[in-house]
Amino acid sequence: MGTVRMTQGMMTRQAQTGLQSGLNRLAKVQEQLSTGRVINRPSDDPTGATSAMRIRASVANQKQYVRNANDGLGWLNQADSTLSSVTDQVRRAYEVALQGANSGSLGPQAREALATEIDQIRSGLVSTANSAYLNRPVFGGVTQGDIAYAADPVTGVVTYQPAPVASAGVLRAVSDRATVRVDIEGPAVFGADGDSVFDHLAALSTALRANDGTGINTAIAALDTDRERVTYAQADIGARTKRVEQARDAASDAELRLTSSLSEVENTDLVKASVDLQLQEVAYQAALSATSRVIQPSLLDFLR
Amino acid sequence: MAGTFASINSALTAMRYQQVALDVASTNVANVSTDGYVRRRVVGQTLGAASAPAVWSRSTETSSGVQATRVDRMTDLLLDSRVRREHGRQSYLDSMAAALSRVETGLAEPGSSGVAAALADFRSTLADLGNAPGSDAARSQALSAAATVVDAINLQSAHLSDEASDQRSHLLTSVVEINSVASELASTNRTIAAALGGGSDTTTLMDERDALALRLAELTGAKASVQGDGSMYVELNGQPLVSGYNAARLTVTGGVAADGSATGGPVTFALDPDTTGATTALTGTFGGDLGATVDVLDNALPSYIAGLTSVARDLADHVNAQHALGFDASGAPGGKLFDYDPADVLGTLKVAITDGSKLAVSAIAGGGRDGNNATALATAVDVDDQYQRLVNGFGSSVASARQLAKNQQALTDQVDSAREQMAGVSLDEETVNMITAQRAYEAAARVMTTLDSVLDTLINRTGLVR
Repeated sequence: MGTVRMTQGMMTRQAQTGLQSGLNRLAKVQEQLSTGRVINRPSDDPTGATSAMRIRASVANQKQYVRNANDGLGWLNQADSTLSSVTDQVRRAYEVALQGANSGSLGPQAREALATEIDQIRSGLVSTANSAYLNRPVFGGVTQGDIAYAADPVTGVVTYQPAPVASAGVLRAVSDRATVRVDIEGPAVFGADGDSVFDHLAALSTALRANDGTGINTAIAALDTDRERVTYAQADIGARTKRVEQARDAASDAELRLTSSLSEVENTDLVKASVDLQLQEVAYQAALSATSRVIQPSLLDFLR
Repeated sequence: MAGTFASINSALTAMRYQQVALDVASTNVANVSTDGYVRRRVVGQTLGAASAPAVWSRSTETSSGVQATRVDRMTDLLLDSRVRREHGRQSYLDSMAAALSRVETGLAEPGSSGVAAALADFRSTLADLGNAPGSDAARSQALSAAATVVDAINLQSAHLSDEASDQRSHLLTSVVEINSVASELASTNRTIAAALGGGSDTTTLMDERDALALRLAELTGAKASVQGDGSMYVELNGQPLVSGYNAARLTVTGGVAADGSATGGPVTFALDPDTTGATTALTGTFGGDLGATVDVLDNALPSYIAGLTSVARDLADHVNAQHALGFDASGAPGGKLFDYDPADVLGTLKVAITDGSKLAVSAIAGGGRDGNNATALATAVDVDDQYQRLVNGFGSSVASARQLAKNQQALTDQVDSAREQMAGVSLDEETVNMITAQRAYEAAARVMTTLDSVLDTLINRTGLVR
């Protein structure tokens, strides 16, 4: 038999299968358009889903790096502005000391006035040294206390408060591999206890009052060293700020780039999907109209 | 020389035969959309003259009419057995794809509410806590993010065990259906034998028999073959399930308890009793819906659960190990952050800490406002890769199951359409048959009228002269 024997049942079933698969394709495009995503479950595209999940994790990481860097920049900026003020105060103390070194031309009252200014500068420095970022002293390392430096109420000696611990300091992870220290501990700025800027200022004030020329000169030399140390610390903070800023920019760039590739992998190409929808609609309507014509006629229509 | 009334008799047989043909056509039309109906065709045979009327005699009769010798079912045993085989495969792949798709929907990946998102969120709250180690809010946020991770893993494992329990109860109902279909088939075998013996029409019984065998193939992938006596022999994994008038009873012997709970271990079956009354254990893999259910229960679900268990265990172990290296707000070394029972990780995974101050955020003994251990904890949440592999491996298996089902559908459609070509009712054809029969009936009636008038001439007019 050369021809295929067709029956109404076969045609009905073919029509149903055709309509069903047309409707399925239409539903698929509709899902992509309404959810805005081409990958709605892993099986839609296992490879794409893997990339999507990886990219999602990377985006979250980069976001976190940006947050870490912003927090670190807060610490560094606070330290930087505090160090500027420390520099100013130390420089002023240095000038006062130079003035006091001209011992021959100054009377006791003038020296007392200079000593008083040094005392004020010293107490100002103590409060600057205790300046805080988010309730934590910026020069206090990881101390639990609220202050970095305190003056002894009796002797007036200023000492560094945090107990010495083996700490890496306050660290912020700013990229996959880079971790930057965002604090600077008091002794690195003000000098170790016993040889700190506070001790030098106290000695200077005593020397001024006692008109001790040698003492004043020793203090001048010490203050010069202190000034250099502060400047060095500020340069260090500046360098770290730059590093964190670069890392933050890199992380936010990466976040942007990754988000756009995530969208490329995962999101529906609206133009393509709309064209697809149109195409599938036309195909479905064509199938409907073909079906309506095919399943109606039979021999019975032509017999009387 | 034919008898006077022989032609009347011939016309009568023609009328009878055409009536049967009309009858068959009307049955075909009536069953045009009946599932499993095979179109019938009446087979006629010319009634010949007696070949040896008597000793020393000779017949001069010509043929004398027609009779309907039998009604054929337009079917092909080979095609039927192919249909059964492909339907068995189709039903296996369909059930498999459907079950896997259901599980996949429960994974909620990729998305913003699944385990992957919870892990990312947990990591980011830990890093935030590292930035603000003194903040109670950051501590409680990290704890609630840890609880979210546990919830997400628990939700997924609940989906998996729900699916497993659905599949187990589906297995039990399937077994009941298989047994009832098998015993129905055995009793149909018996009825067919009786009907054949009595000489009555067996076509309807055979439709029923084939439909039952097809159903058995869909349910179990069993092989069936028609025996010489018209009975259907069904073989399940090399053992007879239906043989002659006897049906074996399929019973679950392991893996699933009678109440649908899991008993551990793979699902096993036996024929108890088998067709001879003894007990036979069944080995090998099953096809059809039953095979898919067993496969999902024995392989797909356990392997995903094992993967998820390993993700949960690694997460808890890695985080706990790092947590133990740190110190909490009071300066004490960190305890366990996650807790689980190794015997049932997914069922018992929980956050062991309820007080945020117990989070070992500091890397320095004695506490202090150090957040470096929290940052290290964020790095210790490193199961993302493992989880992605798990999910996407599962996604691939769903995609491939769906693709296989689709490919198989093409093959199944092809054999179905070959069978339909053979067995399906065409209304046009039946209309033509009907009209042919109608015309033939009319012609036979006309023959009878003609004979009547001939006889009228013979009886009433012969010898009369006007």
